[in-house]
Amino acid sequence: MSTRTSEDERKQIVSMVRDFVRREVEPIAQTYDNEDIYPHELIPKMRDLGLFGITIPVEYGGMELDFTTFAMIFEEISKGWMSLSGIIGTHHVLSHIVSTYGTEEQKQRILPRMASGELRGGLALTEPEAGSDAQNISTVAKKEGEEYLINGRKMFISNGENGNVFALMAKTDPQAAPAHKGISCFIFEKPVEGFSVGQHIDKLGYRGIDTCELIFDDCRVGSENLVGGEEGKGFHHVMAGLETGRINVAARAVGVAQAAFDAAIEYSQRRKTFGRNISDHQAIQIKLADMASKIHAARLMVFDAAEKKDSGERNDLETAMAKLFASEMCGEVAMEAMRIHGGVGYTKALPIERYYRDAPLMIIGEGTNEIMKLLIAKRLLQQHAV
Amino acid sequence: MSINIIVCAKQVMDPETPSSAFSVDSDIKQVTPVQGIPPVVNGFCENAVEAALQIREAAGGGTVTVLSVGNEFVMDVMKKPLSMGADSMILIQDQLCENLDALGTVNVLSAAITRAGEFDLILCGQQASDWDNAHVPLGLSETLGIPCLTEAKNIEIGDDSVTVNSSRTDGYEVFEANLPALITVNNEIGEPRYPTLRGIMQASRKTPEILSLSDLGLSEDQMAPAMALSDLYIPVSEAQCEIIEGEDDADSGRLLALKLREAKII
Ligand SMILES: Cc1cc2nc3c(=O)[nH]c(=O)nc-3n(C[C@H](O)[C@H](O)[C@H](O)COP(=O)(O)OP(=O)(O)OC[C@H]3O[C@@H](n4cnc5c(N)ncnc54)[C@H](O)[C@@H]3O)c2cc1C
Repeated sequence: MSTRTSEDERKQIVSMVRDFVRREVEPIAQTYDNEDIYPHELIPKMRDLGLFGITIPVEYGGMELDFTTFAMIFEEISKGWMSLSGIIGTHHVLSHIVSTYGTEEQKQRILPRMASGELRGGLALTEPEAGSDAQNISTVAKKEGEEYLINGRKMFISNGENGNVFALMAKTDPQAAPAHKGISCFIFEKPVEGFSVGQHIDKLGYRGIDTCELIFDDCRVGSENLVGGEEGKGFHHVMAGLETGRINVAARAVGVAQAAFDAAIEYSQRRKTFGRNISDHQAIQIKLADMASKIHAARLMVFDAAEKKDSGERNDLETAMAKLFASEMCGEVAMEAMRIHGGVGYTKALPIERYYRDAPLMIIGEGTNEIMKLLIAKRLLQQHAV
Repeated sequence: MSINIIVCAKQVMDPETPSSAFSVDSDIKQVTPVQGIPPVVNGFCENAVEAALQIREAAGGGTVTVLSVGNEFVMDVMKKPLSMGADSMILIQDQLCENLDALGTVNVLSAAITRAGEFDLILCGQQASDWDNAHVPLGLSETLGIPCLTEAKNIEIGDDSVTVNSSRTDGYEVFEANLPALITVNNEIGEPRYPTLRGIMQASRKTPEILSLSDLGLSEDQMAPAMALSDLYIPVSEAQCEIIEGEDDADSGRLLALKLREAKII
């Protein structure tokens, strides 16, 4: 639970991030995305600005901003280049897990370095054979004295190459029933013998940022890295962490959609067909109205979910709904922006095609939208049980 | 060494306001405020804040006080210099300041500076992007009786003096003056730093001191404009396009050059 960030502070923060994005991110976004280049030179600036410690408590060196402000920051960054937000996305999932469930020693050891950006984090949950079905992971952590011996493979891990600390999900009790009771969460800090980064995955969108395979081959992790010092709680930890992940992913979707809309409404007033601006054609006006209304709705859902998270209330329903709605909306709005741009929207000359390529990440990442619907329905049926 | 700096900073309409949204009311001779586009701290004033922070850092101590005169401040906008790292802020906010001319602004600023006490340096943006007059810093140095060094691209503080490289169209001039002095800067002094998240959170605990004209002992007639604005309008620009065609590219180029010379452009 965090204290509310004031309106005044929020406005200043948004204006600062917007300025940063305009000055430093927008000029490189298209090239870096096309050529899949990691923005190394932006990292020191992001560290100076404090972007690695947004929600980390002040006592551990962070800013302790509320989740509404957190969402606003992700939206602003994603307007310029969605990929960049990935560098601080799962980073904050990990920091949330540690600050909520970690032992005091773990918090002191990890959080200040995460807040400063010396440690850049990620989440290592997904495996080649276990994505949606996260309980089905096969990475094993076997206790040997004061250490755990880790064996397994993680797949599609954001920040896998450039990050250096991860929330690693592994089974400490592979026989447990139900399976999630056998899953534990470890703070895994590079470098460790037996650990290596596998293939760098080439992607449709969300380019520039590293998505990798992580390989654990008889890799030893000290038991002081078991989150909260307790086995079998990992699934619970990661699900709570993913709520923050879903807020950030939904906020990214709002940002990308807003950028697509801004480009479209401007273009529609410059492009003429049949003797008038295309914005004078009702068919285009209807698109613009639909796009803006959906973006507005999605943004309000994100803020609502964020506020619930801040209040400490249960928020899995609201975060799942926001993630589902915002990401689907983003896909639709990016497509509409492309239609409004016509042929030029399909070319590499404008960022419209990038928004279109980036949108599906929000549909698939942090739990697919099919899984979001299952989760939403399950909660609804619980709430409305007859 | 410790140095006390006052930075004068003005709140202006965002110069990036799209021209389609910009309008003036010629009857009351005022620019119509644009809904939904908040004002900003004048760009060169932000450069002045940056310069002040660098000087304070190089000196290893001192204070940076930001001073502004206006009739209606937007607090989250005006707090930016504090978030960048300035120590304190004094805002002279008074309805009577709505249509101040340069002389009136100088009178208010000098009264506020005198009230604030000892200082070593005053930094100002060379001009404000709203009217681009560049009058206030000159008038202020005159009123305070201190040297004025303009368009500094580099500032070095000595024991009791300051050395400044002043940009000129064909290079720069080096000036030295005794402290206290007033220096104007523009973007050549270096990009203003971003206010960091930490800076913003710390600044939110600093409250600007807000004064009215009567707090400064200034009366309404002292604010009477010495200069009257007689007309305010947006110039009409007409774009005409003429395609110059020659026998080949070289010929087209020659004809274009001729045209441009006729129009006294080259
Ligand atoms: C670019 C990128 C970055 C990523 N970053 C990370 C990261 O940092 N850390 C991490 O741990 N993971 C990461 N992931 C993994 C991501 O979370 C998974 O891809 C996602 O959860 C889906 O898992 P899957 O790919 O195994 O698909 P599957 O689970 O195999 O799903 C395939 C399809 O079946 C559907 N489906 C599955 N089960 C059901 C069901 N019960 N009912 C109905 N439909 C179902 C799914 O919705 C989907 O449409 C990343 C993925 C990508 C693409």
